[in-house]
Amino acid sequence: MGSWMKMIKELTIRPKGKRQIRKSPAYSFDEDLKKPLSGQTVKEILSKSSDVVFREFFLQGKDRIPCMLVAVDGLVDKNLLDEFILKPLMVDFAGHPELAQMTLSNVIDKTMESLLPGIEIKKISKMGDAIDTILSGDSVIFFGNLTEAIVIGARGWAHRGVAEPITESIVKGPREGFSETLRINTSLLRRKIKHPSLRIISLKLGDMTNTDLVVTYIEKIASPDIVSEVFKRLSKIKMDAMLGNGYIEEMIEDNPYSPFPQISFTERPDVLAGKLLEGKVGIIVDGTPIVLVVPAILTQFLNVNEDYYQRAMVAILSRFVRYVGAFVAIVAPSVYIAVTTFHQEIIPTDLFMSISAGRQGVPFPALLEAFTMTVVLEILQEAGLRLPKPIGQTIGIVGALIIGDAAVTAGLVSPLMVIIIGLTAVASYAIPTFDLSLAVRLIRFPLMILAGVLGFFGVTVGLYVILIHLLGLRSFGVPYTSPIAPLRIRALLQDTFVRAPWWALKRRPQLMDVEDPRPNGKG
Amino acid sequence: MGTTFLPVASIVTGVGGRDGWMSVLPGFAVGIPYCLMILSLSEQYPRKNLLQISAAVFGKWIGNFIGLIYILIVAYLGGLLLGQVGDIYQASIMPLTPLWVFFLGGIFLVLFLIKSGIEVFARFSEVVFPLIVFALLLNVGLSIPRIEQGELLPILSEGFKPLFLGAIKVIPFVMTYMLFLAGVIAFLPTGKQELSQLKKGVWRIIFLVGILDALVVLIQLLVFGPAETIRLVYGLLVLGKLVEVSRTVAGVESLFLGVWLSAAIIKIGSLFFSVIWGLESVFGLKGVKWRHAIAVVFLGISFRFIRGPALITEIGLVDEYLTMPFVALWIPILWGVSRWKRGAGN
Amino acid sequence: MKTDRRKEHKFILRLSIIACLLFLTGCWGKREVEDLAPLLGIGFDQGEKPGTFLVTEQFARPKKDSSSGAEIEDRTFSVEASSSREAFEKFSKVAYRTPFMGSLKVIIIGEDFAKSGDFNNVLDFAQRYAEFRRSMYIVLAKGKALDLLNLKLRSGLLPAMAIKSNIEGGDEISVFPTVRLGHYLTILGEKSTAPIFPVVESVKTGEGVEYKTDVKDEAGEIRIQGAGVMRGDYLADFLTDEESKGYMWLENDVVHRLINTVDLEENSIKFGGQVIESSTKYKVKANNDKMELQYKIKTSIAIDEIMGLKKQLSGPEWVELVKQAEKDFAKVIEKECNSSIKKERELGLDFLGIGRHIEQKNSKYWKTIRDQWEAEIADFPISLEVLVTIHHSGMSSSSATNSGGEGQE
Repeated sequence: MGSWMKMIKELTIRPKGKRQIRKSPAYSFDEDLKKPLSGQTVKEILSKSSDVVFREFFLQGKDRIPCMLVAVDGLVDKNLLDEFILKPLMVDFAGHPELAQMTLSNVIDKTMESLLPGIEIKKISKMGDAIDTILSGDSVIFFGNLTEAIVIGARGWAHRGVAEPITESIVKGPREGFSETLRINTSLLRRKIKHPSLRIISLKLGDMTNTDLVVTYIEKIASPDIVSEVFKRLSKIKMDAMLGNGYIEEMIEDNPYSPFPQISFTERPDVLAGKLLEGKVGIIVDGTPIVLVVPAILTQFLNVNEDYYQRAMVAILSRFVRYVGAFVAIVAPSVYIAVTTFHQEIIPTDLFMSISAGRQGVPFPALLEAFTMTVVLEILQEAGLRLPKPIGQTIGIVGALIIGDAAVTAGLVSPLMVIIIGLTAVASYAIPTFDLSLAVRLIRFPLMILAGVLGFFGVTVGLYVILIHLLGLRSFGVPYTSPIAPLRIRALLQDTFVRAPWWALKRRPQLMDVEDPRPNGKG
Repeated sequence: MGTTFLPVASIVTGVGGRDGWMSVLPGFAVGIPYCLMILSLSEQYPRKNLLQISAAVFGKWIGNFIGLIYILIVAYLGGLLLGQVGDIYQASIMPLTPLWVFFLGGIFLVLFLIKSGIEVFARFSEVVFPLIVFALLLNVGLSIPRIEQGELLPILSEGFKPLFLGAIKVIPFVMTYMLFLAGVIAFLPTGKQELSQLKKGVWRIIFLVGILDALVVLIQLLVFGPAETIRLVYGLLVLGKLVEVSRTVAGVESLFLGVWLSAAIIKIGSLFFSVIWGLESVFGLKGVKWRHAIAVVFLGISFRFIRGPALITEIGLVDEYLTMPFVALWIPILWGVSRWKRGAGN
Repeated sequence: MKTDRRKEHKFILRLSIIACLLFLTGCWGKREVEDLAPLLGIGFDQGEKPGTFLVTEQFARPKKDSSSGAEIEDRTFSVEASSSREAFEKFSKVAYRTPFMGSLKVIIIGEDFAKSGDFNNVLDFAQRYAEFRRSMYIVLAKGKALDLLNLKLRSGLLPAMAIKSNIEGGDEISVFPTVRLGHYLTILGEKSTAPIFPVVESVKTGEGVEYKTDVKDEAGEIRIQGAGVMRGDYLADFLTDEESKGYMWLENDVVHRLINTVDLEENSIKFGGQVIESSTKYKVKANNDKMELQYKIKTSIAIDEIMGLKKQLSGPEWVELVKQAEKDFAKVIEKECNSSIKKERELGLDFLGIGRHIEQKNSKYWKTIRDQWEAEIADFPISLEVLVTIHHSGMSSSSATNSGGEGQE
C-alpha cells in the first residue's frame, strides 16, 4: 500500500539539489588536501595503508636528487614500473649526458622530456590530484621536496575478461558484455561506434570512493538539452560512497517515488551503441558491468535488442507476446478476483459451473486466496533468486508440488487459482527487463485489493491511476509514454509495438521528443 | 465526448423515431461553426480564454456576469455527470455497492488528473480515445448477430421533421464541448500553422465522434427496434449484455463500463478545468484550496441527485435549457461584437 | 506554489487513506462464486389463489467431482407468489444460497397461465433487473411449466439446459420460431405484429417416439414443436407443426430444413431433401387499385432421398425428374405457407408481421390502413411465389432398385 500512496505523491519531481547525503562529522581529510604537495606529506597520509608502496631512490645527476615512487600494490603493473621506469632512471641512463646536467630545479622537465618512455605521463602540482591518482592505480614520483610530481600511468590489476552477459542473454546476436573495468568498457563501445562524434567524457563521483565514471553520447544525435541535464544532475550528486550504478540511478531519476524504472540498464555494448544512436546518453560507472542509459521510455523496457537481430516478422510476434504478457501479469489475478466475486454474469454458464465446483470447500474468499498465492509466488521467486544453482532446483520442485498440487488436493486453493497464478508468473517472466517486472509485481497487489473490494470499478480506477501516473512521468524531460502519448505516429509504427523491417526505416525513429523539462503544472 | 454514447440513442430516437440515427451527424456538424468562431476569437486575443475575451469585449461587468453563469452551469453539469457515474454503475453492474463509493472514486480520479496538469489531461484523452473507439466498435460489431430483420425500414416515412428535431436534441452535447473549448483555448498554440492544424483537427474530431454516435444509435435501432431503444435508459450496456463471444465471454458490459469510466472522467475533468479557469478569470481565485472546494461542490451536487431517474431528467434539462441557449447565444454574439468592434476601430 | 503543492499532496494522501479505510471495512455486493445458485430455467403457472402464480425455478448445483471436473445436480423448487421478487424471497429461505440470475437460459410459460394472462407483468422482472440478459429464450409449455421442469430426462440434462440446447440446434431444422426476450420486446414495440412463441412439450414413449423408460408412464424426453400466438397478454391459439413451418418460410427464418414431398398425392415418386439456403423477399404492389403483399421465397434444396422410383433413368429423364422434384418441393412449401396464412386470417392476428412488411415497403399506404388493420387482416390480398432450385441429387444419379424389373417379369 505504501508504495502506491507514494506514487500518488509528487508526480514530476525534479532533483532540487537537496538530495545530499550528510557527511560524517569526523571526516577531516579535506584539511590534509589543502596542504602543499610534497612527498613527505603524501607519505604521512598514505603510510598507514599496507598496500601503498614507497620506493625511495636517488637520481645521480649534477646533484644527487632524492626521489620517491609511490604506488598501490596490486593496482599497478609491476613489470612495467621495473622495466621502463625504475630501470631507466637508476641503471640505463646512469652517466647519460642529460642526466649529468640535472639539478633539482629542472629535474621534472628533463625527466619527462627525455628519460621516461611511456604515453601516459603528466605533471601535477596539487595534493588532491596526487592522492587521487595514486589511489586510482597510477604511480607518482616525487623529487626531493619539490611541490610538483610526475604521474605515470602504469595501471594493471586483476580483472574479469569480457564474458557473455548473464542478465541479457539472447539467441541471435553478439555475445560480449561489459565487465567491471571502465577502460575495457569504453573500448568495447568504441569498437562499435568508430566515429569522431562519439563523446566519452570522464567524471569522478563519491568523496570517499572516488569512483570514475564516463558519460557517453553522440554529438549531434543526442539532444543537447538532455546531455546538459545529465551533467547538471550528476554534478548535484554529493555523496561519500559510490559503489554501483544503483546509487546514481536513485540520485538522478525524475520521480523517486514511482515504481516504474525511469532509467534503463544494459550489460551489452551492442545495446548501448544502439541506444546512443537513438540519441540517448549512457553513464558507465567503474566497477559495475551495467551501464545506465537515459532517458528511458516505457515501451523500450518491453523491447529487447534481439528484436533488431531477428527478422521483422518474428520480432513483431515476440514483441506482441511480450506486451500481452506484461498486461496479463498486471491484471490476471485482479480480473480473476473481480470476475468471481462481483461480475459472475460475465462468465459463461459452463465455466461458471466448473469454477463454482472447483471452489467448493475452499475455506478462503477469492481475494484472500489470490493474495496468499501471489505472496507465495513472490516468496518462491525471492528464494530462488539468490540460492546456489543446485539448491535452486529444489525450490522449483517444492513450489510445484507443494504449492500447486498438494494445496489443490488438500482443498486449500481452487485449481483455477493455481492456473491463474501460474499464468501470472509465466507472463511476468515474459517481461524482458527486470526493473519493469519488479514494478509490475509491485502494482499487482493494490490492484488485487481494489478488485476484491470494488470489482471492476476498483480495477479500472486503479489502472487509470497508473495510467495518469505514467502519463505525468518524465525521464530527463522526455515524456515516459513517449511515442504513444504524445503521439508520434512514425515512431509508433516503426519501433514501438512493431518493428518495421530495416529497409523500411529510412529515417531514424523519432522515439522521444524533448520538451521543456519544467512540468507544466498549470491548472 | 465519450459520455454521449450512452444516452444519445434513447434521446434521438425519442423524437426522431426510426430515422433518429441520421440526425446525429447534422447535429454534431452544428458544432463546427462554433469551433471556428472560438478559434478565430483566440486568433484575435491570443492566450486568453473566452471569459477574459468577453470581459475585454463587453466590459468588466457584463464579462463577469457571463463568467458567473458559465461557472454555475459548468459546475452544476460536472456534479450531475459525477452523479451519473454512480447511477450507471449501480444500475447496471454493481447493484449493492453504495453510490458514494463511485462518487469518491470518480472525484479521486478527476482530482488526480487535474493535479497532473492540462498536459497530462490532454495525453490521457489521447490514450483513452482509441480505447473508447475500440470498445464501441467491438460492442457494435459483436452485436451484429443480434440484429432483427428490417427494423430500420421504412426510411424517412415521417418526412424530414423528425431529423430536424433529433438534431436539435444532439446540439446540447456539442455545446457542452464548446464550454470546455472556451476555457482551453487559452492553452492552445496561436501560430498560423497550428491554427489551421487545429481547424482541421476540429473537423476531424467532430465528424469522428458524430459518426461513432450515429453508429451507436444505428446498431441499437437495428437490434432493439425504435420502441425499445427509447425505453432503455442505457441501451448500449444492454447491448453489451447481449454479446456472446461463442462460449468464452458472456457479456462485455462491465468491460465496456470500464472504458466508459475514462470518458466520464475526461468529461468531468474538463468541466472541472472550466470551473477552475472560470474562477480564475472572474474572481481571480487560484490555488489548491479552491480546487478542493470545487471537488466538494461537485460531490455535493451528485449527492443531491441520488435518485437515478431524477438525475437523468435533470441532465437533460440542464443540457437543453441552460447549456444550449447560453452557448448558442454567447459565442456568436461575442464573435459578432468583437468583429464589429474591430471593424469600427479600423 | 510550493506550499500549495505540499498541501495538495497532503490532501490527496488523506483522501486516499480515508478511501482505503472505508473501502476495507465493507465489501458491498461481494459474492463468492460458490455461494451462488445459478438459475437455469424459470417457469410460470397459474396459481391457485387469484392474482398469484406458481413459480418454478431450476437451479444448478455444481458439485466437485474428482475425476471429471464439475457435475451439475438439479435443485428445482416451486412456490406460489404474486410477484417474482416475492417468489425469490421464498426460495432464498430454502435454498441457503443466493440465486444468480445471470445464467438464466429459458423462461417457460405454462399453457393455462399464458391463456389467463398477466404475461408482460411476469416478464418485466426479467427485462428490468440488471443481472438478466436479453438473450434468454422464452417458450410456451404444453401443460404445466412445473411438470416440464421437473422431468427426469434420459439424457441426464436438466430440462432447462435441454430446452436451450434444443433451441440452439433449431437452425438445423427450422420448424419452430426462436424467441429471445429481446426479440419479444422488439416485436411488442412494433404494435401491429402479434408475438409468437415456440411450444415445448414432454414426450412420453409412444407419443411419436418410442423409447425405454425406467419409470412407467413418465416422459423422459422433450421436444419443441409448433408455436403459440399471443393476443396482447393472452395466448390466442396454438399453431400446428405445418402452420409454424409456414411461418418460418414467410418470416425468412429458414436456415436449413429437412423437407419431403410424401404428403403430395399428385406424384408417385416422393422426394426427401435438405434445404441448403433460403431467402424470402417482400413486395407491396398495386393490384386492381388494392395493394397486395407478395412473398417471394427462393430456396435451394439438395435431394437426399428418392422413393417410389421403379426404374433406372437415362440422363435426360433424370433431368426431367429433378425438375419435377423442384415443382413438388415448391408445392409443399406453398402448402405450408398457405396453411399459415389461413390461420392468420382465421385468428385475425397478424403474427406473420404482414402489417410491418407493408409499413417497411410502403409507409404511406400503411398509414391509411393502420387504424383498421385488425379488420383488414382477414381479406388483405397476399400472393405467394416459391422458387425452388435443386442443387444436386446426392451421390447417385439413379435409384437403387432393380432396373426395369429384369428377371422378374
